[in-house]
Amino acid sequence: MAKEAEAWDGPTAAELKAAGAEAIPGGVRVKGWVIQSHNGPILNSASVQLFEDKLQTTHLPEMVFGESLLSLQHVQTGIRLHFNALDALKAWKQEALPPVEVPAAAKWKFRSKPSDQVILDYDYTFTTPYRGSDAVVQKPDTMQASLDESSNLCWEDTEDQIDLVALSAKEPILFYDEVILYEDELADNGISFLTVRVRVMPTGWFLLMRFWLRVDGVLMRLRDTRVYCSFGSDEAKPVVLRECRWREATFASLSAKGYPSDCAAYGDPNLIAHKLPVVMQKTQKLKLPN
Amino acid sequence: MEDGVVSRSGGGGLDAQIEQLMECRPLSEPEVKTLCEKAKEILMEESNVQPVKSPVTICGDIHGQFHDLVELFRIGGKCPDTNYLFMGDYVDRGYYSVETVTLLVALKVRYPQRITILRGNHESRQITQVYGFYDECLRKYGSANVWKIFTDLFDYFPLTALVESEIFCLHGGLSPSIDNLDSVRSLDRVQEVPHEGPMCDLLWSDPDDRCGWGISPRGAGYTFGQDISEQFNHTNNLKLVARAHQLVMEGYNWAHEQKVVTIFSAPNYCYRCGNMASILEVDDCRNHTFIQFEPAPRRGEPDVTRRTPDYFL
Repeated sequence: MAKEAEAWDGPTAAELKAAGAEAIPGGVRVKGWVIQSHNGPILNSASVQLFEDKLQTTHLPEMVFGESLLSLQHVQTGIRLHFNALDALKAWKQEALPPVEVPAAAKWKFRSKPSDQVILDYDYTFTTPYRGSDAVVQKPDTMQASLDESSNLCWEDTEDQIDLVALSAKEPILFYDEVILYEDELADNGISFLTVRVRVMPTGWFLLMRFWLRVDGVLMRLRDTRVYCSFGSDEAKPVVLRECRWREATFASLSAKGYPSDCAAYGDPNLIAHKLPVVMQKTQKLKLPN
Repeated sequence: MEDGVVSRSGGGGLDAQIEQLMECRPLSEPEVKTLCEKAKEILMEESNVQPVKSPVTICGDIHGQFHDLVELFRIGGKCPDTNYLFMGDYVDRGYYSVETVTLLVALKVRYPQRITILRGNHESRQITQVYGFYDECLRKYGSANVWKIFTDLFDYFPLTALVESEIFCLHGGLSPSIDNLDSVRSLDRVQEVPHEGPMCDLLWSDPDDRCGWGISPRGAGYTFGQDISEQFNHTNNLKLVARAHQLVMEGYNWAHEQKVVTIFSAPNYCYRCGNMASILEVDDCRNHTFIQFEPAPRRGEPDVTRRTPDYFL
């Protein structure tokens, strides 16, 4: 039986005060940042239709948490980073990877008459290159689900790295949440899952957006986006680093290395990430708007 | 377990077992074994297209959400006061697959004419090893014996049911290999769900907006369009195909100009989707009423709305 999670009542008033932070509905205000999240239900029929129209598709993940979002806003500069399902699916639609055949495909005999047959060729894995949405906003108090304008912040490649040592310190957590953006069970052929987690500490905030795909018996993909802001001395000039690391492996290649090949061994991406070779890695720094 | 004694005392014992199960307390392994032997005798006599009379309440996926099944009986009426037809997927995903499937099988043995339990694609050896039922059996019984007993029994579950000759009920959907109900009747169903073929389609296929037979981008599996549903209902003098298998926010969803309906009976699926569940009541006069319901209050299940922070990297 799943163990009952220890209830977390949030940070103490003393922890917030010491950090100069303030709890706000669904989030926290700290060092010039307003960080908020919202978790909603899956799309209802009417919203499914709306998403299908916007995305020009008739196939969406089984569970799209269309109202859910994470937003991080720097009030003084107007920088806004946010994470939502619609933008992630726009990126899926654009990348449009070719279909991945499941093992049963090898045994499958198509029995319908060719005249009655249509081939559905969308990427049912919902693999997305989405790294989050960003914008410069003038009125920082609105929490829209999706901004229609394209991203207008600039990210520059950098040699800098996210400071894992600083992030390993067990500081008080002023705000924490996990927001699932979408999920699909691939008709019981595995899992496709897009989620973003955030934690806010007195010295900075950190988030991990993860796309996790397992097509049973075929392949796994892990696309991680980590964003870190260390609160420096100048509140007006935040330093934000973004690291994207994509990993991918086929079951065949893992089994050739002597790793298990049954899908039950690959339930938790945290435990197996290191077994998947990195296929893309890039770190960028946010350029502050003028 | 002292409850083991109860099972040897006949029908009265079965009532006590049902009472115990309704409290979410599993039976002992010997009790499960005896129960499944009786269930097998009943199920093997049933047809691939099991005839069902109205009134009856038709239900979709449950997926181990035991407390929501109890809520379903509270809202739809107790078995045997209400007749039930379940369209499969009793196990996997939720935390109480063992209690859920044991209760439904016990009700089947106790009231064979009052409840019909069809096979879903999760009532299979292969799928339950990946999606939870196998692990749950190991955890609750210390061995895979109970899993083996149940998955052996699943082979006998009927594939489809026919309510008053006009509502065709099944877990997944139609198959290009099946034009009429007689071709379902002639299938040899007592086997593991195959990877391919008509029996697989009945448990796996989905309706789609596209006409004709859609070939899944996975390279296996069919979707069926409105033209296919219309033809099938016409050929077989059916009013409706009722199926489960897909999550829908409202708990039910019409497709194909009301030729097909999807019913899903696991509210707040996987404890996070926020969806409604529904059941379909078909009364004496064959009128249809959908009843929606929300999750039962939780006891002892993790509350995913309150997240414990961790120092993830």
